[in-house]
Amino acid sequence: MAEPETNRAASSETGGVFGETIGFFTSVKTTIAVLFLLAAASVIGTLIPQEAGLAELKATSSPFLYRLIILLDLHQLYRSWWFLLLLVLLSINLLACLLKKARNIPADWKGKDSQVSFRMNMEDGRPPSEVKKLLAEQLNPFLGGKPKESSSREAISLTWVKHRVHLLGFPLIHTAIIVILLGGLTGIVYGYRGYLSIKEGEEADRFVIKSGGTGTLPFTVAVDEFTLTRYPTGEPKEYRSNVRLLEDGREVHKGPIVVNSPMTYRSISLYQSDYRAVGVKWVKLALSGPDGVVEEFLIRPFQTVPLPGTSEQIRLHSLDPGSSTRGQGVEMTATGPDGESRRVEVFKNDPNPTDVGGRKLGFLGYQTLYATGLQVGYDPGTPLVWWGSGLLVAGFLLTLFTNHRRLAVEIKKEKGRTTVQISGRSRRLRQEFRQAVQEKVRLALGESGKGPRTGQGL
Amino acid sequence: MTSLSLNSFVTFGYLGVFVVALLAQAVGGGNLWLRRVVWAALILVWGVHTASIGLRWVESYQMGIGHAPLSNLYESLVFFAWAIGLALIIAHYRFRAGVILLLGLPMTVLVMAYTSLLDPEIKPLIPALQSNWLVAHVITCFLGYAGFAVSFVAAILLLLANSSSSAAKHLPATRVLDEIIYKSVLVALPMLTLGIVTGAAWADYAWGSYWSWDPKETWSLITWLVYSAFLHARLARGWSGSRAAMLSVIGFGAVMFTYFGVNYLPGLHSYF
Repeated sequence: MAEPETNRAASSETGGVFGETIGFFTSVKTTIAVLFLLAAASVIGTLIPQEAGLAELKATSSPFLYRLIILLDLHQLYRSWWFLLLLVLLSINLLACLLKKARNIPADWKGKDSQVSFRMNMEDGRPPSEVKKLLAEQLNPFLGGKPKESSSREAISLTWVKHRVHLLGFPLIHTAIIVILLGGLTGIVYGYRGYLSIKEGEEADRFVIKSGGTGTLPFTVAVDEFTLTRYPTGEPKEYRSNVRLLEDGREVHKGPIVVNSPMTYRSISLYQSDYRAVGVKWVKLALSGPDGVVEEFLIRPFQTVPLPGTSEQIRLHSLDPGSSTRGQGVEMTATGPDGESRRVEVFKNDPNPTDVGGRKLGFLGYQTLYATGLQVGYDPGTPLVWWGSGLLVAGFLLTLFTNHRRLAVEIKKEKGRTTVQISGRSRRLRQEFRQAVQEKVRLALGESGKGPRTGQGL
Repeated sequence: MTSLSLNSFVTFGYLGVFVVALLAQAVGGGNLWLRRVVWAALILVWGVHTASIGLRWVESYQMGIGHAPLSNLYESLVFFAWAIGLALIIAHYRFRAGVILLLGLPMTVLVMAYTSLLDPEIKPLIPALQSNWLVAHVITCFLGYAGFAVSFVAAILLLLANSSSSAAKHLPATRVLDEIIYKSVLVALPMLTLGIVTGAAWADYAWGSYWSWDPKETWSLITWLVYSAFLHARLARGWSGSRAAMLSVIGFGAVMFTYFGVNYLPGLHSYF
């Protein structure tokens, strides 16, 4: 598209302030300026920490910079009034350009547009009907179909239009951006994001809203289990929360929440965010009796339970995850039938197993109790953003892989000679199109195609 | 034969092609035979490069942690070099401008050489990266980056030609360079758009938000804005020549910062 096109008559005939205002909003200069301003603002936003505490900013920046930051909301630049204003300006500019350009589309669609990329004029000795036949033979296969034909007594007009759909590329791309921006705005106004942390076995519906305050979900999230799986090399493989959603205590939804696979219920999505180890879920002990039979025994913290095969009650107090050479171990209280309590310690590396009520206790292992961190997201603007993205990609594909071309041929009888006027327009690959048309015309009409008033590319 | 040893062959292969291309340039435009050697060698090295990426993919499956080799800085750089190679081949084929190889091939050599300083071990995918969007996102982004790289190379050559007439004698016509600058952006921008859209879709699945103004996201948007401005300046305001070339250079600066510079700012993309 190196060659410029001949322009339509300038459309801003309306003078005065009104005309200038319209001119400002429909101007591509405005577009370019706004694009650069948005880019520059975005750069600043990556240099100044966003959503950071003001106290922190005050400590790290000079007084002047700090005042500037407060004045221009530079610490929350992407939702500052002036950044949003730039986006609004961009939207108005897009809309104005879209409306201005869209007016031409119907005419272009019908092949009646007045813009041309090149013209060729020539003369031929043969009668118009034969010239028409010869040209059509070459140009029909090249332009993929028969032309629209209108003949009057003195002239025959042929018009080929190819890849009309290319014309939709521009409106699609520019509408798409507006749709995406509207989606973003919807999200800012009606959406929210938050976070809640729930221990395994517990439930919650209150969450902390990211932009401040707390919210309540329209359902309760009950976390049955959180699992952390690792690869043999030790890297984390999967974080999974198995949750149930309850409404009025009734289970309405159930399933896992995994990274990259959120759970969505009533348009609210829950995402696996992080986890914390908050305690001990259970400890596994080995019990061996005098007969040498070993059985496994699970004990939960702070529950007094009978120790199987004995008349003792046992209660788990604390776990040592391996701070000494004795390895991992637990501290418990054993209460005999006489009501007498004593402290019992069972460590993995102790040479002599602890004896309780005639059974020997060994430490096998334990399971951490986790609290899972879930992100809460509600954004009714997301579908708009996806629709906009789809339109954007479709628009780009149309622009890139189709090419609207129009070729108009007018054949006239003038002073005993046949004159042929050819004008063409191509949105992309203009030079290639002109050269191809010239070649086809030469093939059709022979060297007469290089007649006295031959092709002048514009 | 491992993908690692193939990669060192590829690095030196591109270097070799560069040397021959330099020679062909020095001998002059008339030497068709040398030009054919450059073309054939470039295709061969790029073919091996493709095979090396495929082999690494296979190797990861043999290790039982199969995933597309696009999951860390090492793998993404190897893919980046591959994409630049592809873009150079296409640009060379389409515009018959061998001279872009003289500036383009050193870029692939540098990128490949840089990978040899990184840990090449194939590691399993961490949970955040376990997504089909990963492949679509990385491939589209890097094809876009490669297109911008070719535009950048042509822009530098055009600025060179415009600043010194003795250099201009050895360079293609500025009209051709101008075409390359513009056409590369015309293809690369839709690719970057796809990259941003697939990235947003992925982010929505992984973090519950399609856009969070993370520095890398923001810088990809900055890149997108600069090249959009480039297209508008060119199509509607008729910018070409040095001015358009300068915009292309600025745009590629943004690309490079999106890829490398952002790692010095905190954010979600820390594994690339």
